[in-house]
Formats: sequence, C-alpha cells, structure tokens
Amino acid sequence: MKTRNECREWRELLGAHALGRLEGDERAGLEAHLEGCADCSEELAGLAPVAKMLPHADPARFELAPEPPPELGRRIAATIEGEKQRARQRRRRTFGGFAFGGAAAAAVAAVLLLFVFGGSSPDASQPVEFTNLPEGINIYATLEPHAYGTEIHMYVHGVPSGTLCRVWLRGPRGVSYPAGTFRYRWGDDSDAVLSSALDISRTRAVVVDTGKHTFVAPVGKAPVAAVTQTEEEPT
Amino acid sequence: MIQLGTSTRGALSRERDVREAYAAHSGELYGFAVRSLGDSGLAEEAVQETFVRAWRAGDRFDPKIGSLRTWLFAILRNVVIDLGRARSVRPGVAEGGIEPSVEPLDEALLAWQVEEAMRRLGEDHRRVLVETYYRGRPYAEVAEELGVPEGTVKSRVYYGLRALRVVLEEMGYED
Repeated sequence: MKTRNECREWRELLGAHALGRLEGDERAGLEAHLEGCADCSEELAGLAPVAKMLPHADPARFELAPEPPPELGRRIAATIEGEKQRARQRRRRTFGGFAFGGAAAAAVAAVLLLFVFGGSSPDASQPVEFTNLPEGINIYATLEPHAYGTEIHMYVHGVPSGTLCRVWLRGPRGVSYPAGTFRYRWGDDSDAVLSSALDISRTRAVVVDTGKHTFVAPVGKAPVAAVTQTEEEPT
Repeated sequence: MIQLGTSTRGALSRERDVREAYAAHSGELYGFAVRSLGDSGLAEEAVQETFVRAWRAGDRFDPKIGSLRTWLFAILRNVVIDLGRARSVRPGVAEGGIEPSVEPLDEALLAWQVEEAMRRLGEDHRRVLVETYYRGRPYAEVAEELGVPEGTVKSRVYYGLRALRVVLEEMGYED
C-alpha cells in the first residue's frame, strides 16, 4: 500500500524523468514505483507532451516579449474608420446621390478625419497606369495617401469571372507589401478598395496577380510611357 | 482556452469591440508575427491586416465554434502565409516562387507558444528549466548555485513542467 508521502517523493522526480535526466538508483526506484502506481504513471504521461515541446523553443527569447508599437492600434482604428467612411459614401451614392445634408455631413466627417488622422486631401490621389495589357484586359488603379499608409482603388476587367486578384505595393528595395485580395465578378463595375501600411511616397509599383499573370505598373516618378511587365504566375 | 467574457456572435462588428480585442490580444499576435516573420515591420503589417480582416468578417465570428483568440490567430496565420508567399514569390521579379510550406509556420507557432508560456512561468521554475534542460547543467551544480538542495531543483523542474502545461492549456494549446 503506497502512502501519499511516498507518492509525493517519487512524483517530484517525474519532471527530471520526463526530461530524461534521472539516473542510477533514483531512476530504477522511480521506474519500479511507476509499475505499481497508476496515478504517478498518469501524471508522467501528462508531462510527456510538454517535455516534447521544450526543444522547439529558443531560450534566448524567454526574456524578450516584443510589444507592438503604440501607434499600431491607432493605425488599425484609422484603417477601419476609412473603410466605414467609404462604405457610407457608397451607400449614399446607391440611395439617390448627395442630398445637401448628407454632403455637408460627409464634408464635416472628412475635415474631422483630416484633423484626427492627419490625412491628405483627395487631390493627392495618384492614378497608376497599367499598359501593354493582353487584349481584352483592363486594369486601373488609384492610390490615395493616408496617415496609416496607402489606399488602393483597383478596377480589373476582362479576366474570368471569379478570378482571385492579389494586390501588392512594391517598396523602394523591391520588397512587396500585400494590400489584400478581391474577386473579379462579371457585371460588377465597382472598384475594390484595399489598403496597405506602405506610405505612398515609398511606393514604387503596384502589382496585381490574377493567377495566370502578374501585372506591374510603376508609381511615382516613373515616366508615363513606362512599360507594364507581364509576368507568368509563379508556380 | 482564453475567452473574452463578452464575446457574442459578431463580436468584432463594432469598433469598440475591435479596440477591446486589440487590447486583449495584440501583444500575443504581434509576438507570434515577429517570431514567424522575423521582421517587426512585416509583423506590424500582419497584425494590422489581421484586425482589419477580423472587423470585416466580424459578423461571421461565432464564439460557440472557438474563442476570439483562436479565431484571430487563425486569421493571422493566413495573413502570415500571404506575407510569406509575397516575400518568397516577390511578384514582379518573375523568377517563379516556391509555395511556402506550412510546416515552418506551424513550427514557429509551436516555438512561440512554448516561449510565451516560459515567459509566464514564475522565475524559480523558469530558471531551473533553463539551467538544467536548455543549458544541460547538472542538477547538483544548479542546486549549489541557487543555495538549495538538489531535491529542490528536481521538484522545481517537476512543478515547472506542470505549470507550463497549465499555461499552455490556458493559451489554447491542445496536444
């Protein structure tokens, strides 16, 4: 008959045993105890998965707990606020244009947004030209600067309905930042509104991947006649 | 499992809920994003995209299926895959990318979970695990350094592993 104290003594060796660090008499004694003690065997079995996880961790990271920068929360709030504003504007357009009251409210909201988030004027929006496209395909994009990054209005036409379009903004060192995805639906002429944290001043190109092709259009100081690359989809 | 007490279906459809979710989970999400992407800028991008996607799809969140934390991690996982794909494919370079394997991401998630759980352990437990397991030092040596009997080091290893298991369960880990 095992006593509670006897079990406790053996039990406190289970950690070392689970990690393969028990030797000699202690190990032999514990193994003998385990053969006759279902509770301790069950406890050992419960520790085994944890012991197996330990090698995956890097102890150098135990002291470091990276914290998100304080402005990240504000950026997210601004992005969501921007999307809500656009949704409201779309609804207004859908329901019969701009009544004076609605337009005034939108103007006030825009001024407030500029004040709170330091956004830029709509005049700063920048069209992006996709040229040399395959016959029947049209792609247009407009970029708008915001405090949180860049808003991208994408219009794609001529690819099969249901095509998943992935959009990136390419930065100065060729690094591409995802701006989101959308599906082209036949008969839908609305533009997709996407966003990226990459600032418009650092954006060098807009990249659209339609699955079959990847289209790249230069942004900024690139000449008007810049050629759009058509690239095969990576496999 | 960590649950937000007020979670209801569509819990992220209001901005206030997004703020609450951000306050509760952004640290963990960012920590995992940094761990898996190895870049703080990309990690910020990933966390931002996660919360924006969660807000857009807020109506679809159902706490009966899983916790908000689990849902956010699932979204982040997809975002990290997208970012990893974008980084490896580098669209526009036209070299043909390699579809990123899911394995390294799962490995990163596992590693991050253990590291986060270790950070949440008490100092005594973490220290004996670091010294005896990760640094492979003899128990007797560690005991002498800490000024405690060797048996105490062994019992701390045991209680440390138990505590680690509890923390991992609280974090939603299921073996």
